[in-house]
Parts: sequence; structure tokens; C-alpha cells
Amino acid sequence: MLAIKNLSKRFGTGNCLALDDLSLSLVPGEIYGLLGPNGAGKSTTINLICNLLRPDAGTVQIGGLPASDATKRLVGVAPQENLLYPSLTCAENLDFFARIYGLDRLERQQRVARCLELVNLGDRAHSPAETLSGGMQRRLSMAIALIHQPKLIILDEPTTGLDIEARYEIWQLIRRLQSEGATVLLTTHLLEEAERLCQRIGILRQGKLLAEGSQAELRCWVEAEQIAVVEVSDPRQTEAAIACARDLGYSIRYYGSDLAFWLPQALDLRSFLAQFEGIDLAGATLQPIRLEHIYLEITRQAQVPTP
Amino acid sequence: MRYWQETWAVAQRILTELVRRRRSLIFWCIFPVTILWLNGLILAERAQLTNAQAFEAAAPGTLVGAALFFSCLGGSVATVVAEREQRTLKRLFMSPLSGLSYFLGIFVAHGVIALGQSLIVGAIASFTGATFQGMVLGGLIISLSVIAYVGVGFILGTQFARRTEDVNALVAAFGVPLLILGGAFLPTRFFPQVLLDIAQFNPVYHMTEALTGVVAEGKSMEEIGNHCIFLAIFAVGVTIAGWLSYRRMLQVERRL
Repeated sequence: MLAIKNLSKRFGTGNCLALDDLSLSLVPGEIYGLLGPNGAGKSTTINLICNLLRPDAGTVQIGGLPASDATKRLVGVAPQENLLYPSLTCAENLDFFARIYGLDRLERQQRVARCLELVNLGDRAHSPAETLSGGMQRRLSMAIALIHQPKLIILDEPTTGLDIEARYEIWQLIRRLQSEGATVLLTTHLLEEAERLCQRIGILRQGKLLAEGSQAELRCWVEAEQIAVVEVSDPRQTEAAIACARDLGYSIRYYGSDLAFWLPQALDLRSFLAQFEGIDLAGATLQPIRLEHIYLEITRQAQVPTP
Repeated sequence: MRYWQETWAVAQRILTELVRRRRSLIFWCIFPVTILWLNGLILAERAQLTNAQAFEAAAPGTLVGAALFFSCLGGSVATVVAEREQRTLKRLFMSPLSGLSYFLGIFVAHGVIALGQSLIVGAIASFTGATFQGMVLGGLIISLSVIAYVGVGFILGTQFARRTEDVNALVAAFGVPLLILGGAFLPTRFFPQVLLDIAQFNPVYHMTEALTGVVAEGKSMEEIGNHCIFLAIFAVGVTIAGWLSYRRMLQVERRL
């Protein structure tokens, strides 16, 4: 559905490298999450897919066609911000874009009703967009992206700035889109969002794809069965805990200021604490391996300077 | 067919937004009506004309200066700037909408508003006994004026006006002197020769002279030919420049 090969893009007078030899592909019906911090190159990637920018090198193919003005009809984008005409009603916003995409009157009526129903705004069809809540506006923005039945849907940070209820509604909508066969490229910096929704995840940092795969495949980056996060009362005890962990063969990591040990085998809390007898641990929690641990490990390894 | 569908979609959207907000439409009616009354009464008193003659003379300049200028030029700039401020322009960039359809959509929307303003100004002047001639030729001049104004508005909106405040500043800085120099508020027969010489390069002057000549004085196409030629060249020129401005805006702003 989407094939990106060796894509590179530089910007500005400093010739800053925004994308560096990026390659990825999406198969029909999957949700692919492109994860990365601000400035990682996610928006540049979207701009290149939408043919809003020209690459310095590499190719983008959508449905087997090179990205061009002709492929705009194959792609539906819900941008990070709600780009709506505030004084138009929900139905009028959708109808306007349906016309721009060349749908005839009958198709328009059907698609407007269908898209409003899909995003649960059927009862707000005649409400001006400016009267909707933030979550509703985001859903309307997503409906606009769907109005012309695109083959590829791009959701750029779909839940950024939304409260938890609105976030759950959007996640439900994305799952519904997938159940109806949509192919979705989802960019986000929310790890929980990617973990819940995506079949495959690509981790982008400073324009480079550091790792890619399903969550099970990415898990190989963390060679552990469990992670123990410990709280230690003072620096001397910290050193002792680290020394003990080393003796036990645990890898040691800091997640922010939290000290963590990678456990090669799952333990219960009592057995874990017994291994640190004589050391004054103020607290300890055992966690399963989550996407945030994988993400932090991948970005950490990318930061380690090569000799 | 595709261009027509896109053009009408843009035009209908602009008109729906204007009707929904009402304020601009109300002001675009109040302003020319007020100016028409003031100009008509001043002319009747100072030039010793009947009300009918005074309103016949005042109506074309009022239409060109107080109505079309603000709705078509100011309105076009405001349309583009509003799209930029609410960032819907970015959504249009991602769609298959062509620049030509976008320009034509703005033109059609403001053409409809211009038609409404023409009817209001004409109806009020007629109420005082004024009669107008040369409706077909007058319609042509009004159409050329709308194209010229929308073209200039498109250039200003795409290239110079970044925010809503800029619209006001641009219209005040460039528009008002051009309107006065074009004879929209003060008949050009009161101008000194030096200003008349400068006015030859002002499209507003040619709009008012051509429209006054045709609808108020009953002049033929031969008599106002030079004004029409200037207007036609100007309209074509600003349409091309508007197209190039849109292309440049695409290059500069076309990204999410």
C-alpha cells in the first residue's frame, strides 16, 4: 500500500538532515505506528507522502504509484490540528471536501452520512464546527480525511491535546477503521497509543529509522523477562544495590532518575527482595517489558557513540 | 467539469460562511448605501443638480469605490488570510483542489456579492428618480472591475497579508488613496491636471470613468473604449500575477 525507499530530505541554509535514508512499507489493512520525539522527522515523512515536499533522494509509492498530485486522492490525512471551517456545520465541512475530491451529489450525500455515523457525529450533522468539543472536532477532522474513501489514512498525532475520554473515543474509532479494512499510518509520541493500536512500529529519531517490527519483534532489544525498578535510600546503598545486581548478572539501566535492573527470569517480589538482603531498599516494583522500555533501549543504543 | 465543481464548491463555501457570520455582509451593504446618500446629497446641493441627476452621477463611483473595492478586494484578501489563520489552507494543499479553481471560486463568490451590491446601489438611486443606461456594457465593466479587484486581493492575500490586522493596514495604505485618486468619492472633474495625469495609471479611475460614462451619461463602447482596454489588460495582468502568487505561496507554505 505504501512503500518508502531510501528517502532523504534536507532543510534550510544549514542543510539540516530531516530524513536520512528512510525505508518502510505498509501492507493493506495494518496500522503502522511511526514513533518518535518532536523533530524526529514524522511530519516531514507525511509531507513527502502527501507530495507537499519533494525528496532529495529516494521514492514514495502509494498503491504502486509514485507520490504525485494524482495520488492525493488515494491518501486521507487527519493533521495534528483540527483544520476545519468553524462557521460551517459538520455536514457542510464534509460536503465541501467531498466536492473538492470530485464526488457527485448522490455519493456525497451517502459519504457525508456514513462518515458522520462512523465518527459518532450523526446527531451533530447540523452543528457548526466551532460549537463542538475538542474531541468532537478531532473526530470531524478524521471524518474529513475519510470522506473520499482513501486507500491510505494518515493520522498525525491523533490524540495529542485530548482528554482521556476523547482519547479512548479516537482509539475506538481507529480500531473500527481497521476492522473495515483501512490501512493506517499513525504518527505519535505516545507509547501507550502505539502499544494499543499498532501491529507494527517504526522508531524514528533524528530522521533515521532506528528499529522496526511488531511489538514481539522489537522486544528482542530488551534481553529480560521482567524489569525491577528500585528505590534506594542513599547513594551508598545505591552503589551497594548496583554491585549486588552486577553479581546477579542483571543489566542496569536508569529510566530518568529511576534505577532499574533487567531480570532474565521472572520473579515474585519476595524472591527479588531476598536477593538484596542487607541492602536498604526503600521500595521496588516489578514490571513486564513494555514498549517504553524497548523505546528507551533503542534510543539509548542509538546515542552510544560508535568507536 | 472538474474545475467547475471545485470552483462552485469554493464559492458556495465562502458565501455560506459570509451568510453564517452576517457581519461582513451587513457592513458591505451599509457602507455603499451611506456613501451613496452622502455623495448624492452633496452633489445635489453643491453642483445644483436634481436628486435624480445627483444620484445618477454618484452611483457608479460609489459602486466601484465603496462597494466593490471593499467586498471584492478586501474580501478576497480576508478570505485567503482567514484560510491561512485557521490553517485550512494546509488542508486544501493536501487536496486535489487546483489553484485556478481556488481563484475562480473566490471570484464567483465575490461576483455574487458584487451583483447584490449593484442591485442595492441601483435600487436606492432609482428610488430618488435616477435612471441608468447601458446595462450590458455596465455589466461588463463591473465584471472587469470584480476580476481586477479579486486579482489584486489574491496577490495581496497570498504574498503580503499574513494576519487579519494586515488586511486593514493594506486596504488603508493602498486602497484609500487609490479610491480618492480614482474619483470614487470625489468627481475627477475637480482634480488638478497633475492628479488627472497620475490617475491615468490608476485602475479605479478607469472603472469609475467607464461606468459613469456608460450608465449615467449613456456613452457608447467607442467613447469609453480606452478605459475598457486598460481595465481588460489590467484584469488579465493581475489574474496572471495572482496565479503566479498562488504558485509561490504553494512553494513557500505547502507543508503541514
